[in-house]
Amino acid sequence: MNKSYAGNVTDHAYSEARPAQPKKMVNKSVPGKGKQLASQIIPPLVVLLLFVGGWEFIGRLIGIAPYLLPKPSDIFLAARDNIGNLMVSVGTTVMEAVIGFAVSVVLGISLAILLALSKMVERSVYPYAIILQTIPIVAIAPIIVIWFGAGLNAIVIISFLISFFPILSNTLIGLNSTEQNMKNLFYLYNATKFQTIMKLRIPAALPYIVAGLKISCSLSVVGAIVGEYIAGIGGGKGGLGYAITIAASRLQTPYLFACGLSAAILGVLFFLLVNQASKWLLSSWHESAMNHSN
Amino acid sequence: MTLQSAQQLAAPYSSESKGLLVHLDHVDKIYPNGTVAVQNANLRAGEGEFLCFVGPSGCGKSTIFNMITGLTSHTAGELAVLGTTPREARKQNEIAFVFQEHTLLPWANLLENVTLPLKLRGVPQSVRKEEGERVLELVGLKEHMKVLPRQLSGGMKMRVSIARALISRPKLLLMDEPFGALDEITRQTLQDELLSIWQREKKMTVLFITHNVFEAVFLSTKVVVMTPRPGKIAQMIDIPVPFPRGEDFRTTPEFSDYVRAVSGALNH
Ligand SMILES: Nc1ncnc2c1ncn2[C@@H]1O[C@H](COP(=O)(O)OP(=O)(O)OP(=O)(O)O)[C@@H](O)[C@H]1O
Ligand SMILES: [Mg+2]
Repeated sequence: MNKSYAGNVTDHAYSEARPAQPKKMVNKSVPGKGKQLASQIIPPLVVLLLFVGGWEFIGRLIGIAPYLLPKPSDIFLAARDNIGNLMVSVGTTVMEAVIGFAVSVVLGISLAILLALSKMVERSVYPYAIILQTIPIVAIAPIIVIWFGAGLNAIVIISFLISFFPILSNTLIGLNSTEQNMKNLFYLYNATKFQTIMKLRIPAALPYIVAGLKISCSLSVVGAIVGEYIAGIGGGKGGLGYAITIAASRLQTPYLFACGLSAAILGVLFFLLVNQASKWLLSSWHESAMNHSN
Repeated sequence: MTLQSAQQLAAPYSSESKGLLVHLDHVDKIYPNGTVAVQNANLRAGEGEFLCFVGPSGCGKSTIFNMITGLTSHTAGELAVLGTTPREARKQNEIAFVFQEHTLLPWANLLENVTLPLKLRGVPQSVRKEEGERVLELVGLKEHMKVLPRQLSGGMKMRVSIARALISRPKLLLMDEPFGALDEITRQTLQDELLSIWQREKKMTVLFITHNVFEAVFLSTKVVVMTPRPGKIAQMIDIPVPFPRGEDFRTTPEFSDYVRAVSGALNH
């Protein structure tokens, strides 16, 4: 009886296992990948080329002064002529944004865990986090400059303030959305509060945390530039925000455009980097990271 | 009856409940919102018994389980699990649970999932691996121990969930509609598997909730029939058919008789 039973189980398990997913998914994604990528990249690229070409063409046709509306070629030349300064500015802004983002990640996630550990603490602290979030940064920034002095510290703090809240709120929502069933399971197996947080609630919140990171990384770049705009030179060298204020005051419009474009590219690159990192983080279990390229 | 409960209060864990794994004596459960979920429930589950709870939705089956596991407390009567309070009983690591949903961690592979109860207790890695392989072998999934749950079918996930419950060699196994979401064929296969695991363990007591009268009769040594509003244990029906019960048991006239008896009790 026992023997035939054991045989039965294995047979059954095998027949069920055969249509399991992973092989299929690998097969599908390998030949499809190049094509898919091309179909994703080519249409926006065409739009970009048409737009830049049209802009250049109309600019030349009408002959608008470059300080009012520079043509793409003006912007390119301005960037090339000032490439040294531009690179220094980009580097400075990158450093500030990365520090601001890193501080947001560490403080945002730790505070969310603290709040999630105690409903009491959450109820008493979280409303203030929301209120703080609604105060416009331009109102807070001058105070920060007064307290911490113009320069790197103030800029990093402003970048942090802008990018902090999405991480905090997303992580908190994630930590609070653990299924009741799963919590019961841990409770019934006598898990400590610490074990439940580390082995259940944090891993379960990962998709939410990652969504927060994606929002915050672009915001940290915006925050750094706003900070430079208000607090000036960071780390001894001016960042993009600083370069933009200078270029604007000198009517160097093509260079101003070059700085703005660099900031945009920076934000996008930072986002792509974080996006890639989150895919890697989630790949072990979260399905949306595997199915959609979002 | 009031006198009796007063006596029980004076001597909470009478010698009577010593040999029993679960002992409910005039137990009531009234939720704070006033719902009388369970009224005057009396139940004794001894070593090696397989009790199936049947009854319509809302008759308090899960509530009885939640009181036994200590997820919620009873509001009147006496309740002993492993001869002590549910809270104390749970700390002995002799009780295991299977829910209707498989409740597997999606980011952990099968081996990590089934060994979770041991990990939470701080059992060393080498022992965990050995025990994990043992229980996965029991449910026929040892070759898949590095696989993630999402790569499995519903039936396989339920097997993993059962394996996880078996890992600590529990004296008492509580299963709340474990096969409710499965198709009929998978359900019957798992019923057979569960019975042979239970027979091997010999001393394990199983409490099993189901909506399915056929399932209840096929599996159990005793069927506990419950009726709703308020939730009551209406009748206990012994199924004194020897094990192993093969597939042919399902087609015997004896089987139909028991099914009819249970259905009758349900409709009273
Ligand atoms: N936490 C709660 N608070 C208030 N009422 C509850 C709570 N949990 C359950 N109930 C009520 O108690 C009664 C019994 O519920 P219970 O979940 O035990 O039923 P059940 O027999 O398990 O039903 P099902 O077969 O649908 O799972 C129901 O009327 C239900 O609405
Ligand atoms: Mg239920």
